[in-house]
Order: sequence, then structure tokens, then C-alpha cells
Amino acid sequence: MDSEIDSMKQRICGAVFLCAFFLSLSARAWAFQLSDDFPEIHGFLEGAGGLKFKDGTTKHDDYNLLEARLQLRGRYYPRDFLNRWTPEINVKGDFLLDGYFGGATDVSLRELNALITPAHFMDIKLGRQVFTWGTGDYLFVNDVFPKDYVSFLIGRDDEYLKAPSDGVRISLYNKMANLEVIAIPFFEPNVIPTGERLSFFDSFQQGIAGRESERVLIEPPRQPSNTEYALRAYRTFGSYEAALYGFYGFYKMPRGYKNEALRQLYYPGLSVYGASVRGPVAGGIGSLEAGYYDSREDRKGDDRLIENPSFKALCGYERDLGNDLRVGVQYQYEQILNYTEYQAALLAGDFFWDEYRHLITARLTKLLLRQTLHLSLFSFYSPSDHEVYLRPSATYDIKDNVELSIGANLIWGDEDKTEFGQFEENTNVYMRVRISF
Amino acid sequence: MNNRHNILLFITVSLFVALAGGSSAGADQTTVDEIVSKANRAAFYQGADGRAQVKMTITDNQARERIREFVILRLNVEEGGAQKYYVFFEKPDDVANMVYMVWKYTDKDDDRWLYLPALDLVRRVASGDKRASFVGSHFLYEDVSGRGIGEDVHELIEETDEYYKLKNTPKDPDSVEFAYYELWIDKKTYMPTRAEYHDEQGSLYRVVEALEIQEIQGLPTVIRSKASDLTGGGSTVTEFSNVEYNIGLTDDIFTERYLRRPPVRWIRR
Repeated sequence: MDSEIDSMKQRICGAVFLCAFFLSLSARAWAFQLSDDFPEIHGFLEGAGGLKFKDGTTKHDDYNLLEARLQLRGRYYPRDFLNRWTPEINVKGDFLLDGYFGGATDVSLRELNALITPAHFMDIKLGRQVFTWGTGDYLFVNDVFPKDYVSFLIGRDDEYLKAPSDGVRISLYNKMANLEVIAIPFFEPNVIPTGERLSFFDSFQQGIAGRESERVLIEPPRQPSNTEYALRAYRTFGSYEAALYGFYGFYKMPRGYKNEALRQLYYPGLSVYGASVRGPVAGGIGSLEAGYYDSREDRKGDDRLIENPSFKALCGYERDLGNDLRVGVQYQYEQILNYTEYQAALLAGDFFWDEYRHLITARLTKLLLRQTLHLSLFSFYSPSDHEVYLRPSATYDIKDNVELSIGANLIWGDEDKTEFGQFEENTNVYMRVRISF
Repeated sequence: MNNRHNILLFITVSLFVALAGGSSAGADQTTVDEIVSKANRAAFYQGADGRAQVKMTITDNQARERIREFVILRLNVEEGGAQKYYVFFEKPDDVANMVYMVWKYTDKDDDRWLYLPALDLVRRVASGDKRASFVGSHFLYEDVSGRGIGEDVHELIEETDEYYKLKNTPKDPDSVEFAYYELWIDKKTYMPTRAEYHDEQGSLYRVVEALEIQEIQGLPTVIRSKASDLTGGGSTVTEFSNVEYNIGLTDDIFTERYLRRPPVRWIRR
């Protein structure tokens, strides 16, 4: 059955790439519109490759990115259907030809949703969509929606850091405060390295593992009671935005051991309560965000197999220095709560985490050549975990619809087990060419 | 308050340029400050609101062209004071559906937001260098959102039957790249039709001009304008189409709700 689906996916992808190829040869006007009522189709065709320099035990020693991608997206406003509710339908799909896995093809739907306004104070967006909120730049406290860290580490576009979810978002607007309620009936975990493409710290392997990793990640069963809920209440006070957040669901990382002997990990129950403010400070934008992570299955912190509750706080500041130069800095504080209980529960030979983690980030952005050349350097530095992750990139718009990007993911860490340090072997340099239409 | 009013510059958003109906005061008694103030109001605050489809053709010094297309919605919060702008990008394709929103104030820094649909991300943008290029064109942010009247010393240096010509010298020369600029203001409509920017040596290096003016809903409107870089070469032509005034925009359009859900009623006309 699976192989049938795979072969069908292969054929769909093949056909789509062929069409795209001929389209790119023949179409002078890239965006085409069949009729007034038909949605405009946009998207891009992209080729990407990334070299790596450290041998490991991943599938390939010298590269970790080699792919062609076609994205198609459309937005449609039906006129004859539920017109009073001003419906809008969004579709976005990616067709991927992955050279890393011997030309394997994949079709992935990033968006397929309907947005309606059933009352003047209410919007409902139902279907597959990307959820984002919070004030961080590449750092997330109250945004516990799924992320794709594999895409992030190998140098795909930022768009792919956010993974889509299937769910519903109900937004209620009024003068006192706006309210957003999200329900996600189908759990979607973070996409994280498994050892095939990227090596990582595998506690079962006592260190960095590649393909020898045999971890089994067990997702919560798909049943109505496992629906995740997220809530945000927000409003502005003059130029300042304030928000309160709540989340009831699961960790998006496998932060609990189900069965050590079988190398099984799972996604324990998680609730998050938090708040943020953002607004103008000293000629720039300042932000402050905090969240309490309630690890529901180990509130006391005395279960060595499940992540403890924790507290995260983030502050950020961004400023435009003129001449198209921008700088942004962030500091994130993380603390494992009930640390004494955690320490007491550890067994000899267990890997353990420090109580505190400090993380500093800086982003420098410079635009040149009439804003057609974007230079950017994002750096993570953790003084407590002794690790550095640099993301330099240069993107040049050769023409309005042709973009060339080069960049790198440069990682150093003193220890194998730290958040970024574990990915040191995956350090890469990548290039992407994208034709948009 | 008065000296905080933005001077008009006639492009982009100044599509909402308009006729100062009945304000045909004789030149003799019209002081420089009055000219500046009237021109500012006429250019930026006409109508309660407005909408236009904008196309910028950016030509660099090697004659390569780039196109920027967007829809712009504008709402006056208070006559001659705060305003709200909503800019919905359509071209180039890689920024299609991106939204840029500005709450403009006359007494403090603007509030700006950027919505990136691919990430469903509402970013707050630091309001910074007002002499930076707007979307890579030869128009600057200050051409778009206006320059505070109080930031320059204004002198009337020429007056003909058709226009006033003002010389504007910055009070804080270090904050801008020009030494002074001259502004031509149409006597009948108080619409600025040409600005010439000079450097410290007195040489002309930048020109912004209205190429075509049409009357829309009875209001003279710049529908084609051009900014030229005389030293570096290159220029940008901005064309406005489907211009409409007083369409009934409401305050709620300019909120996070409509960043995530573009108000199709006002964008597709």
C-alpha cells in the first residue's frame, strides 16, 4: 500500500516537474490567470544544494542538501458561495525532488484552508495552515506550533521553519481585547534530525548519532481527546501590543522516554501559560515575552524519564541604524524548575541538563544595490552551553523573478548534547536559485 | 502641532493630492508658512480616505528595469494629523500578498508592521531612516510619508502667475543627505509639481517631479510621477490607477486582523 502511494507520488511529481519545465520555457508571462473568477496561480521553481565538511555517519558525507522544488499557490474568492461570509480559499503545495534520497519525490500540502467571516466580529480559518505568534526572532516561547528544524539547519528558505498544522483558528475581535482560539485535532511534531540526513545527540547512543540511531518516536494517538488547544488574547495600548497566551497539548519535541530498552521516546503532555509586550523603545522596537511550561506528566520533576516544568523569558530589541542597516539582539533565559527533584531522581550514567540556560542572538541585516542584495548574519551564542551557531546569508535578485541565495550554517559547541552543539557535524554551505512566478 | 505637519511631497501617497477648493487667496497676503501648510494639507489629507493601485518602474543606471506593484489604502485619523496606511504588495511575485502597515503620527515615530504570509508572521518594524529608499525605488520614505514642516526653514524665492518656488533648508543638516531643496508649488491647487535637491556644493543631484495630473472626483491627482538620481543615474516612475477618494474605509482595516486577512473588498476593485 505504502509503495503504491509512493509510486503514485513519484508519478505526480514527475508530471508536475515536466509541466513546470515546459511552462518555464514557453511562458513569457509567468503568472497566468484563466478567467476573472479563477484564482491567480503563483509559486516558484527552486534548485538547492548544500555541501558539508565533516564526515559522519549520515547517508552522505559531503552534502546534506540537494533538491528541486516546485511550489504552487493560489488564493480564491468564491463569489456565488456563502457570499455574505466573504469566503477565501487558500491552497499551497510543494512538489519536491530530493536528490539527497536518490531522487525521491514528495508532495506536501502547506496550506489548504477556507477563511470565512460569519459575523463582523469573527473570522474562522479551517484546514491546513501555518500558525505563528509571539515576539521572538527564530526563538519561540509561546509559539508551540510545529517547526521544521531540519529545513532550518540545511539552509532551506525561512518559510520552511514553520511546519503546517491541520486545525481551526477562530478569531474574535472587539474593543476590549481580541481573542484567538486554535484547535489542532491532529498532532504534528517538530521535524527534527533522525540521523539519515543530519546527525544529532542520541542519548541511547551515548553521543552523536547518524544512521545508526534507532530511536522510535511515538506520537500521541489520534483521538479527539488528544486535540491540542491554543489561545491568545491581545490588544494594543497606544503603540504597544500586549498579549496573553495559553496552550494545552503536547511537547513538540520527544521529551519523554516511553521505553528505554526499546529506545522509544514520546511527546509528553504540555501546557504553556505566558504573556508578551512589544512596542517602541529608544528609537527601536523592544519586546518582552515569558512563558511557564507546565510538564503535566512530571509536575514535581521527580520523574527522570520526563522533562521537568520550566520557565522561559525572552527580551529583544531591534533598531534601524540608517543606510538600510538593521540590527536586532535578543536574550533568552531558560530555567528547569524543581531542579533538586530532577537531580535526586537521576541515575548514575544518565545524561543531565543544567538548571539554567542563557542564549544571546544578534541579527545584522544590510541591503545594497537598490535593495536587491540582502546581506544577513544571524548568530546564536549560548554562554552557558558554550555553543555558537552562525547563519550568514546573501541573497541577490538577479531579476525581479530570479533570486540567488548563498549562505551557511556554521555550528560549534563544546559539548555533544547541547541544543546547537549536537549539530556541529552538519555545518554546511548552501546555494539556492529560485524562479518565482 | 502646526510646525509638526508634514510637508507634502507629491508622490506615492500624495496621489491623494487635491484641490484646495476655494483657497485662491492672493499671493500678497499668503505667507510662506501658509503656502507650506496649505500644500501639505492639499497633498496628504484630501478626502477622508483614499485608495490607489500603484506601479513603480525602477530603472537602474544600466537601464535594467524592476517592477513593484501594490495597492495602497489611506485613512486620515485627524485632519492634518495622524494617518493610517495599508500597503498590499502584488509584484514582484515573491512578495505577493505581503502587507506593510503604517500608523503615521505628527508628534512621534510611526508605528509600522510587516506581515509575511508564508510564515503567518506579523512583524513589528522599527521606524528608522526616513531618507532610505522605499521598496528599492528612487523614492524615499520621506517622499512617501512626508517630511515634517518644522524640519526645514522655508523661503519664498520666486513667484510667478503659475507657481510659488520655495527654498527649504534643513535645520539639522546632519540628518539628511541634501543641503537644501527647491519646491515648485502650483498656485491654483497648491500641489507641488517639482522638487530639486542640491548638495553642499550647490549642485543638483536629485529631482522629483509630477509628470501627469488628472482630476479625479473633482480633485487634481498626480497619476504619474518620477524620481531621478542625477549622479548615480537611474530613475523610478510611479503610476497610479483606480484612484478613488472617500470610499468609506474604517479604522478596523488598519489592524492585525486585516494583515492576516487582506480586505479584498478594498484591494480588488
